[in-house]
Amino acid sequence: MKQLKYGIILYIFLILPPVANLLESIMIFHMHTQMPLLVFTGFLIAPFSQKKFAHFFDKWNQSGVPGIVLVILIWSYWQLPRAMDDALTYNVVEYFKFISLPLLVGVPLRDSWKKLKSTGQYIFLIFIFATLVITGFIYIWIDQQICNNYLIIEQQTLGWGSLAMAACLLLYIGYRLFENDEAF
Amino acid sequence: MTKHERIALMVVLLLGLSVLTIGTDGFQAFTEEQARTNQLISEQPYLPKVILEDSKARTYSMQELQHNKYLFITFMYTNCATVCPQLERNMQEVYQQLPDTMIKENIQFLSISFDPENDDPKTLEKYRSYFDSDGESWRMARINDKDELNNLLDELGVIVIPDDYGNFQHNSAFYLVNREGSLIDVMDNTEIDQAVERIKSEIGGGSL
Repeated sequence: MKQLKYGIILYIFLILPPVANLLESIMIFHMHTQMPLLVFTGFLIAPFSQKKFAHFFDKWNQSGVPGIVLVILIWSYWQLPRAMDDALTYNVVEYFKFISLPLLVGVPLRDSWKKLKSTGQYIFLIFIFATLVITGFIYIWIDQQICNNYLIIEQQTLGWGSLAMAACLLLYIGYRLFENDEAF
Repeated sequence: MTKHERIALMVVLLLGLSVLTIGTDGFQAFTEEQARTNQLISEQPYLPKVILEDSKARTYSMQELQHNKYLFITFMYTNCATVCPQLERNMQEVYQQLPDTMIKENIQFLSISFDPENDDPKTLEKYRSYFDSDGESWRMARINDKDELNNLLDELGVIVIPDDYGNFQHNSAFYLVNREGSLIDVMDNTEIDQAVERIKSEIGGGSL
């Protein structure tokens, strides 16, 4: 229950207009701080909802596959440059961000993760790695302004940030591979 | 996978793909810029009323200038070191590739500065000469009234973000306006031949 409490506190903090505005005013914070933290609030809320709706999760997400597919699709949407712009332009999209990232990404990710076999986990990690690399390169090398609300220089900062995250993720994937090796 | 899970998977796929479809106007626009352009071309808005002051310090409204011609517009500011010179050079290419009679009778070229504080007529007069604009069939002008300027930029989806160094970040495109004063196309300013073809076919079709 402690996690639920922290999750709710973090969530309320993130949706406070001054906090949201500050994070959204800088592109890399929007993408690599606000959005992951919203997913993280979902993580914290997940055990509570798993307990409360145990039957639901067992019945509809037994293998973890539907959950992870949902995560992949919704997360992909939030990778679109347009999604970030729309969130700043239209309130509906902004609300959708605050709802979808915790509930449609955070919660199902935590629920699915343990249920997925090792292969499924790797597929997911490689998906995240690929999106980071692809968007990273796009943001760095496209000389055009992709987002109307952000300057090109911010776009490039975000690109390098994504590549740095990708490098970290690659280290983790490598670590996991070798860790499994030693078990044999 | 159980039967329930297959149903869940279908629902999830449907939901996720709907979000992606709605969010990109049916996979048509992955950036806001593209979405705006598509919307402008389908809506064809009329140009709002603005008063221009050109490089010879003459003032007139857009409608007076247009005088039953097509308008070919770009937005720029003279301090710009990167995008605008290229944009104006591309505009110059289009200008030179169109037949003289068409320039004389059918289409008016216009470069509008969104930095009226710095771009006074004298500055514009100098800038104009860099691109062989004659100041008549291709004019460079500023809009002094802030509200009118913002209104026009807004209506045509021109986004201008000032940065910390007195420069502006802005999107660049060719805007084509028909004789009635409604926007009919927003074109990629690097595709010069395409723009020339578009203008020729539009004017050819319109005057026949």
